[in-house]
Amino acid sequence: MPIGQRVALIGGGHNALITAFYLAKGGFKPLVLERREMIGGGAITEEFHPGFHASTLSHTIGPLRADIARDLEFHKLDCEILRPDPRVFAPAPDGKSLLFYNDHARTAAEIARHSEKDAAKYTQFAETLDHFFSVIGELVAITPPAIDSPSPEDFWNLFKAGRSVRSLGKHGIFDLLRWGPMAVADFVSEFFETHMLRAVIAARGIFGTALGPWSAGSTAVLLLRAAADSHPVGSAAFPRGGLGSLTRALADAARKAGVEIRTNAEVQHIRVKDGAVVGLVLADGEEIGVHAVASGVDPKRTFFNLLDPTQLDPTFALRIRNFRAAGTVAKVHLALGGLPVFTALDPIEGFLNSLSGRIHIGPEIDYLERAFDASKYGEFSSAPYLDVTIPTLLDPSLAPEGKHILSACVQFAPFKLAGASADGKTIFKSESNWDARRKDLGDTVVKTLAEYAPNLPSLIEHMQVITPHDLETIYGLTGGHIFHGELALDQLFTMRPVLDWARYKTPIRGLYLCGSGTHPGNGLTGASGANAAREIIRDLR
Amino acid sequence: MTRHYDVIVIGGGHNGLVNAAYLAKAGKKVLALERRHVLGGAAVTEEIIPGFLFSECSYVVSLLRPEIIRELDLPRHGLEILPLDGTFTPMPNGNHLWRMNDHARTQREIRRHSRVDAEAYDEFSKMMTPMCRFVKPLLSMIPPDPTTLKPGDLKQLHFLMQRFRSLSSEERYTLIQLMTMSAADFLDQWFETDVLKATMSASGIIGTFLGIRSPGTAYVLLHHYMGEIDGAFRSWGFSRGGTGAISNAIADAAREASVEIRTQAGVAKILVKNGRTRGVALQSGEEIFANVVSSSVDPHLTFEKFLDPSELPGDFLESVRRYKFRGSSGKVNLALDGLPDFKCLPGPGAHLRGAISISPSIEYMERAYDDAKYGNFSRKPYIDIVIPSLTDPSVAPPGKHVMSCFVQYAPYKLAKGTWDEQREAFGDAVINAIAEHAPNIKKIITGRQILTPLDLEREFGLTQGNIFQGELSLEQLFFLRPVPGWAYYRTPIDNLYMCGSATHPGGGIMGAPGRIASQVILKDWKKSSRSRGSKN
Repeated sequence: MPIGQRVALIGGGHNALITAFYLAKGGFKPLVLERREMIGGGAITEEFHPGFHASTLSHTIGPLRADIARDLEFHKLDCEILRPDPRVFAPAPDGKSLLFYNDHARTAAEIARHSEKDAAKYTQFAETLDHFFSVIGELVAITPPAIDSPSPEDFWNLFKAGRSVRSLGKHGIFDLLRWGPMAVADFVSEFFETHMLRAVIAARGIFGTALGPWSAGSTAVLLLRAAADSHPVGSAAFPRGGLGSLTRALADAARKAGVEIRTNAEVQHIRVKDGAVVGLVLADGEEIGVHAVASGVDPKRTFFNLLDPTQLDPTFALRIRNFRAAGTVAKVHLALGGLPVFTALDPIEGFLNSLSGRIHIGPEIDYLERAFDASKYGEFSSAPYLDVTIPTLLDPSLAPEGKHILSACVQFAPFKLAGASADGKTIFKSESNWDARRKDLGDTVVKTLAEYAPNLPSLIEHMQVITPHDLETIYGLTGGHIFHGELALDQLFTMRPVLDWARYKTPIRGLYLCGSGTHPGNGLTGASGANAAREIIRDLR
Repeated sequence: MTRHYDVIVIGGGHNGLVNAAYLAKAGKKVLALERRHVLGGAAVTEEIIPGFLFSECSYVVSLLRPEIIRELDLPRHGLEILPLDGTFTPMPNGNHLWRMNDHARTQREIRRHSRVDAEAYDEFSKMMTPMCRFVKPLLSMIPPDPTTLKPGDLKQLHFLMQRFRSLSSEERYTLIQLMTMSAADFLDQWFETDVLKATMSASGIIGTFLGIRSPGTAYVLLHHYMGEIDGAFRSWGFSRGGTGAISNAIADAAREASVEIRTQAGVAKILVKNGRTRGVALQSGEEIFANVVSSSVDPHLTFEKFLDPSELPGDFLESVRRYKFRGSSGKVNLALDGLPDFKCLPGPGAHLRGAISISPSIEYMERAYDDAKYGNFSRKPYIDIVIPSLTDPSVAPPGKHVMSCFVQYAPYKLAKGTWDEQREAFGDAVINAIAEHAPNIKKIITGRQILTPLDLEREFGLTQGNIFQGELSLEQLFFLRPVPGWAYYRTPIDNLYMCGSATHPGGGIMGAPGRIASQVILKDWKKSSRSRGSKN
């Protein structure tokens, strides 16, 4: 047994760290190579203005899949998870609002102010998602089966999955089949009549994707996200110190297990000989000999930037090229001199608590759809859908005393933005148009928020705008896609990233994928990383 | 005097007539009932303006199952299909795209726009053929129940799995994409020419309330790609004498098999006793009895109008209520004094004999959809135009023409006003959109018929104006059509069956639902007479 083999991991994001952790536990010698000066990938905390620290990209956790957290002994790590309750505050321009608590009964009571019928349905809906949580959870944990020559384990996994699907009963199975390809707007209206309620829940089906709530297939995204957290509005938790604390803790666990981690170590090239990986070349020219490589960066970057394209099978290369990864999310951080006052929130005792989770801006399905419409033509939304947090309410250490941070995921901001050419006539779409529009996007976000919190503009001390173009150039996400590639029916499970290569292996011997571009790829759960480690260990042994 | 039949078929559309014909050929005494004064349902030809025969709703044919043409011997009953050659897409910049049935010529035409695409077109056609071959047998099969462990259903599911596994990796890859992707995304992988993608993706939205960028539309594209006439794949045609002639040929075959057909005999109620159907009551009050009732009208009419809610299980009724119709299209039929003159290809010519598609760009198509999402008809709609009088002069007076315009999007539910108020404005929008490419159109129109989704509902009994009796979206296909658990032509009421487009495999002048339903009815009939026999 070739234990002690050196396996390099490209990228120091949470998935790669988890893969490295498991590899070390399995007796390998993993080496994590991170291009930037800090590990963390999309889960990082940075100082964007003197004294103000924000979770630069992701601002809430998945959460980590339970078995992964257990294996890491996460509770022993130096990472305190803050769990706001209510999880979501959703204001409407007319001054109404909805609060979503951890406790379903309490949320139902809140919903009853709008509709008794919906209040009753809400608990039923939460139970439905709970049922699906266990079934889809099972699918998320397995390696997608090989279609041509399924292994005994594939059969066993499928049998188990089949059994758990059958536990849903006839109705449940039909619901699953029906809902998957459905538009999330239709899905939520099967349960609810209140516009705002529909919008908040439907938003999970479009977050991070190039789908509007009326796009078919968006319910599949919602169900996939529900496999990470079955609460109807999803997770709102974040670590003290921002998301960077999470990856720092993961890195600690990995190091303790024997992983070597290097930052400022940009991999420039994967050296391949006779169809197998032999080593890595870093940007500074250093060469590292390895037995195997697991790439935590996205599939397009892995195959087109780090490999010599002639080494790829043309069919495979074409499929990777067809892998859709045009992002739609931008990020805006505001350094605030004080707290914004939301008009939809009565200043009664403890009201600040209501703002400590996520703030959902997008009061109606039509609002979300219109926000999406703009992106189809290469424009960012004039009234965007925003997923906002004010992390300083629970974690004041992120900002100077008495000051606050507002962090907003902005949708839709298409990777390729329309712009006029020099002659002013032709419109073309390009990622480089973003630099000229950066401030416009920030202003649009502030203007949108000011409709709900009119005092916000007067509090702003500094604004940082991270465009999809920045996501690609600074943070290494091809196409600026936060999930490394679109979450769509044709890019999930046995098709993620591409058919025939959904089992973390690649056509290059010794090269594996372990990032979000692989199954299941559903946010900060570590599932891709853990699944990949299992396959790599099996393969190399 | 009460009359008794073996089977009563509700609705004299093409599926109802196919269903009746097959049942009669198997020796059953069949009565077919049509509410209107003409047969055909949405496959109907009427002289709306003197001298002009309009194929009012459905206007081209391609999906009609070859086995039905053969088994019912339709050519002997007057069916004659005339070829519809190609699709002509005018562009606002003075250029055009003209795809013909002749593959080599189409390739040359595409090469004018892009060399790469001309080559890709070849590859594309090669890939689509096995795709159609894969799906075709599915069109003639009763969908299996994916939730049971019954040997019959498992065998069918296994059959499907094996068929899938027998495909090459390339074919699987494409098939999965066709089943899940949007038409535009799918075509993006193959082609770069915007107008080519726009006009090809148009067939992915027909009869759905989806845009070309919405997942699920690639399947509808395939559904329309499967056209087959006389064994020739991918060909579309007209029926001589208009689309109604197809229905008339089927009706003729049915009558020959001794089906009794009554028009102006609208059904008011399906009679049920002890969970079992006994016949129907007509709007006139007349009651007619039969062992079996087979309904070719849509689930809304069958279950919510002709039956009392108390007669149906609650969860079934809930599924029926959830079934999505959402008509999205309208129809404008024009009587013309001459021929439209296209700016980009002036004068008469072969390009007018095929389909003329107003789908100049992806953005045009998508914006047409955006209007509809918020409850407006498209200000600049997608239009599929044919001029059947060029191929079949019998449908118009000498020197005059009939022009049929299929229009999308026209949402059934309008945000403002009613369709009765908006009808003329809708017609104007359509004609304006055509006039942008063929300015002479306004001068040559001598008469027009505008059918809004509301008209389709009122006049032709298509709930919410959906031309396929329910959206062709993935969650309403195969074993989910029309509702989960009841995709097998049977209903919760004993001896009541469904045989219309709302059942698998769905809409278009295909006839498959009517044929498959007849097989199910005959199979059940045999079973029940056997069990009756054993009791006696």
